[in-house]
Amino acid sequence: MSSLRETKFQRILNTLEKNSVPLLFGVIVIFGIPLSGYSLNYLGQEIVVRIARNSFLIIALLVPIMAGMGLNFGMTLGAMAGQIGLIFIADWKIIGIPGMVLAMIISTPLSILLGWLCGKILNMAKGREMVTSYIIGFFINGVYQLIVLYGMGSVIPIKNSSLVLPRGYGIRNTVNLIKIRKVFDNLIVIKLFGISFPIATFLLIAALCLFIIWFRKTKLGQDMRAVGQDMEVARAAGIKVEHTRILSVIISTVLAGYGMIVYLQNIGTLNTYNSHMQIGMFSIAALLVGGATVNKANIGNVFLGVTLFHLMFIVSPTAGKNLIGEAQLGEYFRVFVSYGVITLALVLYEIRKRRDADRSGRLLAQNQMDQREILE
Amino acid sequence: MRCPLISKTTLLKIGLIILIIVIGIWMFLIGKMHTVLLDNKTIEVEGISYVQLPIVEVQIDNKEKIELAARDRDLVEVTAQRHKITVYYTDKLFNEHKIVKKFKIPLGYDMVLISIPALIGETDVSDWLSEYIPPTAVVAPQAETETVDELGIDFSF
Repeated sequence: MSSLRETKFQRILNTLEKNSVPLLFGVIVIFGIPLSGYSLNYLGQEIVVRIARNSFLIIALLVPIMAGMGLNFGMTLGAMAGQIGLIFIADWKIIGIPGMVLAMIISTPLSILLGWLCGKILNMAKGREMVTSYIIGFFINGVYQLIVLYGMGSVIPIKNSSLVLPRGYGIRNTVNLIKIRKVFDNLIVIKLFGISFPIATFLLIAALCLFIIWFRKTKLGQDMRAVGQDMEVARAAGIKVEHTRILSVIISTVLAGYGMIVYLQNIGTLNTYNSHMQIGMFSIAALLVGGATVNKANIGNVFLGVTLFHLMFIVSPTAGKNLIGEAQLGEYFRVFVSYGVITLALVLYEIRKRRDADRSGRLLAQNQMDQREILE
Repeated sequence: MRCPLISKTTLLKIGLIILIIVIGIWMFLIGKMHTVLLDNKTIEVEGISYVQLPIVEVQIDNKEKIELAARDRDLVEVTAQRHKITVYYTDKLFNEHKIVKKFKIPLGYDMVLISIPALIGETDVSDWLSEYIPPTAVVAPQAETETVDELGIDFSF
């Protein structure tokens, strides 16, 4: 197949356009680092911590993208399941690695159920998966609050009085996870150039990356990619499209639940009613910053995204303070950029889709012209 | 022979679910935290008085040794149910003694109290190990502190 004849400038422009979001963030970070005044050692340590904390959650987003379902804003469902697991282990006083594993086991059936529900609804809203999953997140958040705020301590027994609100039922705003704080991160630590690397967490993330690579090659992974490319063609090829789509959401939700547990074990405190709220938004933003699009994402995008997005997060308040004298501006800047990058990425995706269609048309015309010239 | 009702895949799935449940129970047992209170106070068991020691060192499993003076009480947090307690003390004749005992904390007990004088007195385990229920008093609710990373900045419940 021939390629479209373009000038060098057009080719450079295309490459820049394809990588516009990571490039934009790269520029922000390059300007922000000297303004913040942070040492490279400090930034390196912060980035290592954030890669360990957030990567698992972001990798959970890759499977639905593979199945053509876009960015799974419904990952908050898994996060809620993970949090319920953590509330139970805090109540039962299960600590350390066993506590983390038990929280994961408790979250699994909940995540599967919620993922199945989400997948079923998304199958009814084909083509509008992202906005639908976003709204499902709000709906399930209501159910979560009903259970945690009214059900726990009254219907669901909670023995630990430090978890329950003074009125006798409902979980407090914060759950202390000090007994599992950094248990996984501190399991194996290697110090290099003054930076501590949580090797156990990195191994877990590496295992998940390997799982994703292996999964792409399995029958189910191939089916998902086929469904992602064209649902009708996949259906004609005998693939159970709806079933495959549901499975992709279930896998993503289960992984998001585990990711939330890994994330919260690093933080050491669970904000019962807030922790899950923005996790989907920030994970998606990080993935998009890494150069992913609605229909294409890979593991490289995850790590580039976490690094750039969180570098911006770290440097922006201090850079804002040093530049304008207002640290608060930097705080707003973070949120503004998170929402902004999602909007920008979605707009660029639409522009790119149109450009690609235009390029395909031009390529077809170019091929026809070439054939005519050969015949003449 | 193939079972017509249950396929191999179903059996595998059931087996996997059972395995996960078993791992869950195992994690519960090995990860369950118990607070052990070590008490060096005079205690009376069945009419016999076991006198507190002037100074005693106690070690639970391989944790750090704890030194207790007379009427002291300290705590150790342990996981799982089976443990070993080692008590080091010097008697009135300045002879050094080391007593090692194994004990099991019932799963339902969050806190247990170990009486060191009763343990040294070679009483039954039920005499030196008992459940401790902390006294409850009406107190004002504690102020909640929130520790968040920068991801949770603009939501307040």
